[in-house]
Amino acid sequence: MSEPILSVRDLTVEFVTRRGILRALDGISFDIKRGEVLGVVGESGAGKSVTGSAIIGLIDRPGRIAGGQVILGGERIDNLSQDAMRKVRGRRIGMIFQDPLTSLNPLYRVGDQLIETIQTHTDLSASAARDRAIQLLTEVGIPAPERRIDGYPHEFSGGMRQRVVIALALCAEPELIIADEPTTALDVSVQAQIIALIKRLCAERGTAVMLVTHDMGVIAETADRVAVMYAGRIAEIGPVRDVIKNARHPYAKGLMGAIPSLESHAERLVQIPGSMPRLSSIPQGCAFNPRCNAVFDRCRVERPNLIQVEGTGMVSHSVACHLYDKTGVEAAA
Amino acid sequence: MSDKSFVEVRDLKRVFDVSKPWLNRIIERSPRQFLKAVDGVSFDIRKGETFALVGESGSGKSTVARMVVGLLAPSGGEVKIDGISMSSAAAADERQALRRRIQMIFQDPYASLNPRWRVDRIISEPIRAFKVIEGEADIVARVGELLTLVGLHPDDGVKFPHEFSGGQRQRIAIARALASNAEFIVCDEPTSALDVSVQAQILNLMRDLQQKFGLTYLFISHNLAVVRHMATRIGVMYLGRLVEVSEGKELFSAPRHPYTRMLLDAVPDLAMVGRARVGVQGEIPNPISPPSGCTFHPRCPLVFDRCRVEAPVAVNGVACHAVTNATASAAA
Repeated sequence: MSEPILSVRDLTVEFVTRRGILRALDGISFDIKRGEVLGVVGESGAGKSVTGSAIIGLIDRPGRIAGGQVILGGERIDNLSQDAMRKVRGRRIGMIFQDPLTSLNPLYRVGDQLIETIQTHTDLSASAARDRAIQLLTEVGIPAPERRIDGYPHEFSGGMRQRVVIALALCAEPELIIADEPTTALDVSVQAQIIALIKRLCAERGTAVMLVTHDMGVIAETADRVAVMYAGRIAEIGPVRDVIKNARHPYAKGLMGAIPSLESHAERLVQIPGSMPRLSSIPQGCAFNPRCNAVFDRCRVERPNLIQVEGTGMVSHSVACHLYDKTGVEAAA
Repeated sequence: MSDKSFVEVRDLKRVFDVSKPWLNRIIERSPRQFLKAVDGVSFDIRKGETFALVGESGSGKSTVARMVVGLLAPSGGEVKIDGISMSSAAAADERQALRRRIQMIFQDPYASLNPRWRVDRIISEPIRAFKVIEGEADIVARVGELLTLVGLHPDDGVKFPHEFSGGQRQRIAIARALASNAEFIVCDEPTSALDVSVQAQILNLMRDLQQKFGLTYLFISHNLAVVRHMATRIGVMYLGRLVEVSEGKELFSAPRHPYTRMLLDAVPDLAMVGRARVGVQGEIPNPISPPSGCTFHPRCPLVFDRCRVEAPVAVNGVACHAVTNATASAAA
């Protein structure tokens, strides 16, 4: 099982606008293996959601995938036709969006939406599909599913609706689930239930999950590995414990210090000066250089690539920062 | 910091009428329906401290905030600020003078600033309204000073709000709140619309200003980690009631009310890497028909018969029959 389920190579997404071409994603590469949860964090505009949309082929015009490859289970999917992609979506990649109210159709009963999805992707008969739907609702923890299956989305609370959306994503037993801010619209006590659910299902079925969120707390608890994004690039990627406890990239370091924690005793939070650059004016060299406290000449000229700092293969910890480029230092010396 | 309380909130209540329209009520024979958004909340805020209210959505935090500043009339109870009642007609003149000293910062900096006004006009509005400073040149100088104070440039005054990022807009809102030399600032989720790195900047700024001017904050948030960082004392709300009031750090080291414990268990935190958590059961019930007795009893692990019948009163800052019993038996 060393073959990753999802492999993204040098993915670049561009938006063509009147004011020129904006590069929302700039050469992103990562892998997710079976049963693994990859957390993707970053601030608004870092490109987290675009990454998810690009993988499932839902980039709207004027956006387009300008380069790179998306490989799902050994097969390229970024260059498939619309029809072929529609078969991949839902069947092989499940999706969970932020707002459960807008991802369910308010005019159809929850059961009908589940049954329709099941029948689209499998050969089950109507009654078998209904049984399967009830079974899925049980699995995601909805009480009295035999009765609730005939309810409309507005009759469910926010947390229950998100459970239905998860059931919907699981219909065709996908290999990969992309969850875009699945708990952001929910209260903390419900959020914890949803996180636990996603974790359990993924462990039981061996589904790979890409969890996009801006909440480091959620990542800390759910993810196996985490990728920190900044201005359309991956700044740091590695096992969740290493990245949180021992972040290397100055941006990731600042980000971890900026988050108030229940167990820290700092009087002041770490402050990163300034804010994320607009896509139209990403600085030359390292995109973070104007805000970085360890900036040196090379950062202003040359864009850093991911450098492995620890571990190997899937557990490696990599950082895109010139500070960790040993070869560069030796070459200069 | 003196022990005398600056803000006194006593038995505050607010009921919203959520009935269907008159014709529907007649045709469907449905009764009027009321939602008790805030149901008997009492607390004190001392001068120079930060009192935080936490709770999930629908617990009534924001309604309390709006009543404290006077944006919403209470259905019952009283708010006294510096000894002056906000509701009695007798104190109308004093209340007018008090208004200058109270300001509010809202959650969404995209909605709380007038998009058609330039920043200097937004910030100078309270100065002009309360006639804090007379004379155009002095007002301009004061606006520049306020902008510098919140980390912006005096020249930013001629710009419009849309030219600023979310964090910068929240800085403008803070400058506006300080413009009338306010002493008491009610902050309703001031950072929940911001990214974490920007949130850190705003929280640090709010702390610096508090130290510099001896400001008193009522800080509303759903984020426990933020509250822990900011608050001197914390009140936890559940379904319109205050279930626990506690000194800041104590709430986290020794939570007493079962709801507080549940909430603390549920918060995802950086320190939680790879740790298993206690499962949280259930959701906030519908506030139109809240459970009998203690409203938390259907979700409470310590529930016993009395909780289903009788609503608990706060003893030593905790409103819970089980906790009160345990302390009583320990003392006996």
